Amino acid sequence: MNTLIQKPEEVAEGHYRLRIETPATLVPRPGQFINIRVSTGTDPLIRRPFSVYNYEDGALEIIFRVIGKGTEIMRGYEAGRGIDYIGPLGRGFSLCEHSSVLLVGGGVGNAPLYYLARELKKKNNRITYIYGARSARYIYCKDQYRARADDFAAVTDDGTAGLKGFATTLADEYIRKNAYDRVYVCGPTVMMAAIAASASIAGAPVEVSMENYFGCGVGLCSGCTIETTEGLKRACVDGPVLNGNIIVWQSLTD
Amino acid sequence: MIDTSVQIGPLRLKNPITVASGTAGYGEELSRFYDIGALGAVFTKGLSLKPRPGNRGPRIMETPSGMLNSIGLENVGLERFLGEKLPFLLEHGATVIPNVAGHSIDENVELCAVLSHTPGIVAVELNVSCPNVKEGGMAFGTSMPVFTRLVEAVRKVTAVPLIVKLSPNVADIAEFARGARESGADAVSAINTLLGMKIDIKKKKPHFYNRVAGLSGPAIKPVAVRMVYEIFAKVDIPIIGIGGIADTGDVLEFLMAGASAVSVGTMNLVNPDAAMACVDGIAAYMRSEKIHSLREIIGVAHPTA
Repeated sequence: MNTLIQKPEEVAEGHYRLRIETPATLVPRPGQFINIRVSTGTDPLIRRPFSVYNYEDGALEIIFRVIGKGTEIMRGYEAGRGIDYIGPLGRGFSLCEHSSVLLVGGGVGNAPLYYLARELKKKNNRITYIYGARSARYIYCKDQYRARADDFAAVTDDGTAGLKGFATTLADEYIRKNAYDRVYVCGPTVMMAAIAASASIAGAPVEVSMENYFGCGVGLCSGCTIETTEGLKRACVDGPVLNGNIIVWQSLTD
Repeated sequence: MIDTSVQIGPLRLKNPITVASGTAGYGEELSRFYDIGALGAVFTKGLSLKPRPGNRGPRIMETPSGMLNSIGLENVGLERFLGEKLPFLLEHGATVIPNVAGHSIDENVELCAVLSHTPGIVAVELNVSCPNVKEGGMAFGTSMPVFTRLVEAVRKVTAVPLIVKLSPNVADIAEFARGARESGADAVSAINTLLGMKIDIKKKKPHFYNRVAGLSGPAIKPVAVRMVYEIFAKVDIPIIGIGGIADTGDVLEFLMAGASAVSVGTMNLVNPDAAMACVDGIAAYMRSEKIHSLREIIGVAHPTA
């Protein structure tokens, strides 16, 4: 059991940051996730996966959006309580060096890209960041993101922050104009599918972090299997970060 | 030293705690959490001759204290099982019981014939109860004439103990246990998942591509305990109890209802250590209750004649 350092902090409407004390031996890689057992009872039963938002000085942070019974319980956690989690789990992002990279996040899917941007910065990459959200009130920790990026743009569906429109449109424009060495995306499936397509046309490698429903998070149940051109992959152990060009997106977006 | 071993017909297991097919893969993932050789047995993922891709997603949905799954028997096929998966299990000291899930009687016969002559395989479990495949699967387990024909055919070629995993989606599960016994099975596993369904109220249609799915987890435990109890009362055949087992108390419930061993299933997904905690828990229980053999508690909940 790892201790919750502070009460969940609301960083944007309905979005919370959780800080958990973590053994120094378990340093996560960007893109990895932890699988939290929300309650000690049997309801809710299945663990909830959350990608690592940040890791520093033995404290691991996640961002969660309250969407159901599990996250509703988590919102009410008090500081000092034990958090039953397994992790860090899964395959994370690959880290380039001295490269020009584009990071595109959608909604709560921006979370793993913060830790990624931090680590990429250490490796002397030039980072362009597109932060997509439905509305200004759902954007969290914007200044922290901005501070890690060489170029930063926010895009909202309703235009209340940054540009009005979709992150996919701006990403497509950027990808056409610039020769990125790598594109990293995390967000809704349709968004990842569109950006993977843009990157693929431009010939840029693209990595996406899948967020489909996980049964166990450790590879036991094959509940999160994804169709790829290289056969079936379990998102929890073969991912969650996968090469965006091998995913059969149509099988996920129907 | 406590003797936790149990006898299941001709099969002796070092303890009554096993992991259920479909919730343990081929042992590789669980082996990162504990010594899989310390389990009573590992029931591996339902196997077919050729690899199967399984069903289109979504495949999992949480329910109150349980979950629905529509995996559809995704598996590596016989060749890779024998070439990669079985060697791994045996190297790790696991007691291996493959779950056999062929489409047809012929496919099941072929699988059982090969597997039961493969060194290291101590028994086979015949899956007649998967609700998530269109052919075979549950159809084998819910029609008595088809069921007995399949078990008889498989029995003829199976050189190791034969366990039949029963479907709970029948009016009287004890009748199928009796059918299994009369067709030559050595034991039955009870129960597989209950047929369930989820409607997506936004899309106004079933959540699962296959429409129906299998319900498992603590939510089904009372149903499973009742079915084990009924089989034990009516049919003289060893039972492996399955259904929502989460801890040692649950294991004891199944043993007292009449199971000779149990499988931890869905709870492996929630808590990968669950089965090993039960192995330790049963030994601790025997010590504290001064029980010398689990025979003393198997079926003890039934009235004495």
